[in-house]
Amino acid sequence: MFKKSHPLQSRSEILLRNIVVLIMVVFFTVFLIVPIGIAFAGSFHEWNPLSGTYRFLGIENYLNVFTSQLFGKSMVNTLIFSVVVIVFRVGLGLGIAYAIYSALIKHKSFYRAIYYMPVVTPMVAVAFVWKFMYNPQIGIINQVLGTDINWLKNPQTALLAVMVMTIWKDFGYAVVMYMAGLYSLPGDVMEAAQVDGAKSWQKFLYITLPLLKPMSLFVIITSIISYIQAYVQILIMTEGGPGTATYLASYIIYDEAFVKYNFGYASALSFVLFVITAVFTWLSFRVSGSEG
Amino acid sequence: MKKRFWAAITAAAMTAVSVAGCGGGSSTAGGAGNTPAAEVPTEPFGDTIKYDPSVAINDGKDITVELWEWGSDELFQQVIDGYTAIHPNVTFKLVNNPWEDYWTKLPLALDGANGPALFNVHNSYHENLINYMAPLDIPTADLETDFTGVEAHVIDDKVYYIDYGMMTGSVYYNKEMWQAAGLTDADIPKTWDEMIEVAKKLTIKEGDQIVQAGLNFNDDFHQNYLLGLNYQLGENLFLEDGKTPNVTSDSMKKVMQMLVDMYQVEGIGSQDFGEKGSDSFGQGQSAMVIQWGHYYNTLNTTWSDIDFGVFEIPTFDGNPYAYNRYNGESTFGINKNAPADQQAVAQDFVKYFLANDDAQIAFCLAMSVFPAKKSLADNEQVLENPSLQVLAEHIDRYIWPGPMPSTMETSLKKAGEDIFFNGVDIDTALNEAQQNIIKDMASSSFESVENLYKYAE
Amino acid sequence: MKRKISSILLNLVLLGLGLITVYPFIWMFLSSFKKNKEIMALHQTLLPQKFIFTNYVTMNSRFNFLRFFANSLFITLAVTVIVIYTSTLCGFVLSKYKFKGRDLLFGFVLSTMMIPWCVTIIPKYSMIQAFGWMDSYAALIIPAMFSGFGIFMMKQHIASIPDEILEAARIDGANEFYIFHRIVFPLAKNGISSIAIFQFLWAWEDYLWPYLVINTQEKQLLSVGLKMFNGQYSTDYGALFAATTISIIPVLLIYLFFQKRFIAGIAASAVKG
Repeated sequence: MFKKSHPLQSRSEILLRNIVVLIMVVFFTVFLIVPIGIAFAGSFHEWNPLSGTYRFLGIENYLNVFTSQLFGKSMVNTLIFSVVVIVFRVGLGLGIAYAIYSALIKHKSFYRAIYYMPVVTPMVAVAFVWKFMYNPQIGIINQVLGTDINWLKNPQTALLAVMVMTIWKDFGYAVVMYMAGLYSLPGDVMEAAQVDGAKSWQKFLYITLPLLKPMSLFVIITSIISYIQAYVQILIMTEGGPGTATYLASYIIYDEAFVKYNFGYASALSFVLFVITAVFTWLSFRVSGSEG
Repeated sequence: MKKRFWAAITAAAMTAVSVAGCGGGSSTAGGAGNTPAAEVPTEPFGDTIKYDPSVAINDGKDITVELWEWGSDELFQQVIDGYTAIHPNVTFKLVNNPWEDYWTKLPLALDGANGPALFNVHNSYHENLINYMAPLDIPTADLETDFTGVEAHVIDDKVYYIDYGMMTGSVYYNKEMWQAAGLTDADIPKTWDEMIEVAKKLTIKEGDQIVQAGLNFNDDFHQNYLLGLNYQLGENLFLEDGKTPNVTSDSMKKVMQMLVDMYQVEGIGSQDFGEKGSDSFGQGQSAMVIQWGHYYNTLNTTWSDIDFGVFEIPTFDGNPYAYNRYNGESTFGINKNAPADQQAVAQDFVKYFLANDDAQIAFCLAMSVFPAKKSLADNEQVLENPSLQVLAEHIDRYIWPGPMPSTMETSLKKAGEDIFFNGVDIDTALNEAQQNIIKDMASSSFESVENLYKYAE
Repeated sequence: MKRKISSILLNLVLLGLGLITVYPFIWMFLSSFKKNKEIMALHQTLLPQKFIFTNYVTMNSRFNFLRFFANSLFITLAVTVIVIYTSTLCGFVLSKYKFKGRDLLFGFVLSTMMIPWCVTIIPKYSMIQAFGWMDSYAALIIPAMFSGFGIFMMKQHIASIPDEILEAARIDGANEFYIFHRIVFPLAKNGISSIAIFQFLWAWEDYLWPYLVINTQEKQLLSVGLKMFNGQYSTDYGALFAATTISIIPVLLIYLFFQKRFIAGIAASAVKG
């Protein structure tokens, strides 16, 4: 690697560096560290901005989080939701990207555009459309499958239905990411991808896939972060029902903060969720044995 | 390539500017244009509460007042136009918010310095708003003389808002299906047993599959049955302290059991048939639904093909303690932190609204609520609306429990879903609902006003 | 021959998947020409039985839709351009300058991506109130000026620009500001395209924050406007679908326009992990 030829830094370099570092520090302090500090302090209080309550509680909010059955259940749901959606997002994304990338497909940008459409559509509208499709009497899904299932009201299928919708909405993101990953691979691997037969399958498994690891890690981590925070689809499609069958952690936070105005408890929930996100992110780095 | 990038951005920005221009032009369109300018009154009008149009407001100086509401621009514009015709120096800025988000945003806005002086109120969000409201200038005794149900709104001798109308549930039935089943007007049920018999005749099955449900209460059973039928059995929703929920009572269990039996024993409907009772009736899939007054408007706008009739809610024995719960549509709230001159206009505007019969009728009909203004109870225009007409006879036999926290609805909805879909038994589900409600209401200032019911025992 | 068959098969599979992907859009698009009654009708047909344009026509008179659209476009473009600039600048400093605390700062920037929105949104709201920025675009633009994700992507991307190029410019006497604007910026255009697409999409879709801080109807954004169709007792599906159809067009166009560069940009930054 080429090292800097002269250790002396020019004045303009020092100036630019100082300006940028200063602005960054100020910005992230004001809009991130300070709010986090306020929220952290709030998580130890009974805090309702409407009635003007701000009363010290100690760790009671956190105790309530850990003893809440609903939160436990919602964490299990969140885990199932995240793992299943991520597995399919990555699997479908990789598979389709590889297919489009192969020399067998001509109209590459056509496919890329189609698969990316759901990604750019607002979740609110998409969730309503899928709610219609899941309708037991008039929905297309029962018609096509020849089933008679009340998808969103059956505790066995409700979460599954929401997951399928989420996979549909998001796999296009992974397709585009993996396309990018494939294009950046060295040329000899590209040749390998063009060979037909079982041999190319093995090459994919033992050469392409390992080379795509950084991209997989990137997709997985951004997915963990966004799925642990998912709530809009639940809000519109099931409202957590039937009963509490489809509660996700973020949905509880939304409910506590902006429906019940329990800001203190909602903040405590947020921090617990933050720690869990951090742990899972760290774990995926460890599991992948990444050098990064 | 770089040039193309910037060209695209510039082009997009220019579209933005030109589009903004177009939008601005049409933004002034309101309800004003449709209604011919009504005669401007000059004489005082009203019952006990009188409005004198000859008194200048804000000394005749120009003033702008903001009014927040959800979803009924034209209705509000109508009243505003009537008012500004009398007081041309007053300008209203009407702000429309989507219903759900209104309640997230309004309290936060009122908490700041520039909240609206006037805002539409729904009593289910009472607790989030009451700390920001100014009491009405009108003497409580005058309000009580002109309107029913005022007592329940008195807080420390002051009244902050009242109901202009009362909404409650009635049965809507599909007339074509009624005829096809060989039923006549004489078959209109008075009791739940009769209701089930009628519903059986209206249910059509192919094998085990329902193709037409006699009755459908999916998605709204908590609102339209569980929170209300308890009164028919003489049981309140809250215990005597006015704070402890009473959802594990035998009456509540009986009502819940009746609902379960209707689907599972009598087979007059199914939790998996017609996701939402209100939509299913409109789709011509279910023959009867119990819905609140607003449904009358939904049927007339969205489901205009359905030929429907309305009848009074059945009872268990024909002689109930009360027929059902009602809920009020509230008059506007006044922001106590608004500047004094704006508050004065707001007070005057509310008085105008209460004294003005046309405005009262317009609001009641638009929302399909029974007028709270006593002098309008036998108004012809009101009784022409079948959903209001069926209420007229026993309108004093409905109970308002007070501005119940929403956890009453959501917890009972969860309980019902647990029973119907998750195989939980009634006792367990209702117990859980009870615990949830107690937890959610721990810091609530709610107190039931069921004891103010006219025939309270 | 075998090759041709597998090509056809693969195309069929991709087309099938593509059909599943676009079907909900087709349904939504066609439903935007139906009355609500027909959208919910028991006997569903894909094509409208009665073709109506009312949903598109009334949309603007009721909610000043075009104004929302223009506001969204303005805010989204402003935020996107600013984020592109700040991300590139910070990415340049973080990848090409060596100084104490650099890795710490970068690590911190990375960790900001992990903070759930719910942690900060409540205090941020009170802060905006205290600053007096409520109901102004400052509240939408200023807190969004720096993006952890953008800085991360650009740092990775700029690291791939050879130091020799910069050194050569320095020897020619160029100062750092010139180097950044005239050399680094143009060389980073692929990375910039990918940030542009991500950022445009996020800013365009962002709902809760603009909803909370903007009160005046004339300043409101499209994402919030979409929720206007959700009434107290019912949802106006036809109008919602019509509005959504229109609202996704700009994002799709931006994507179609930049997609090659977008993919190349991601390829150059993210893969290097």
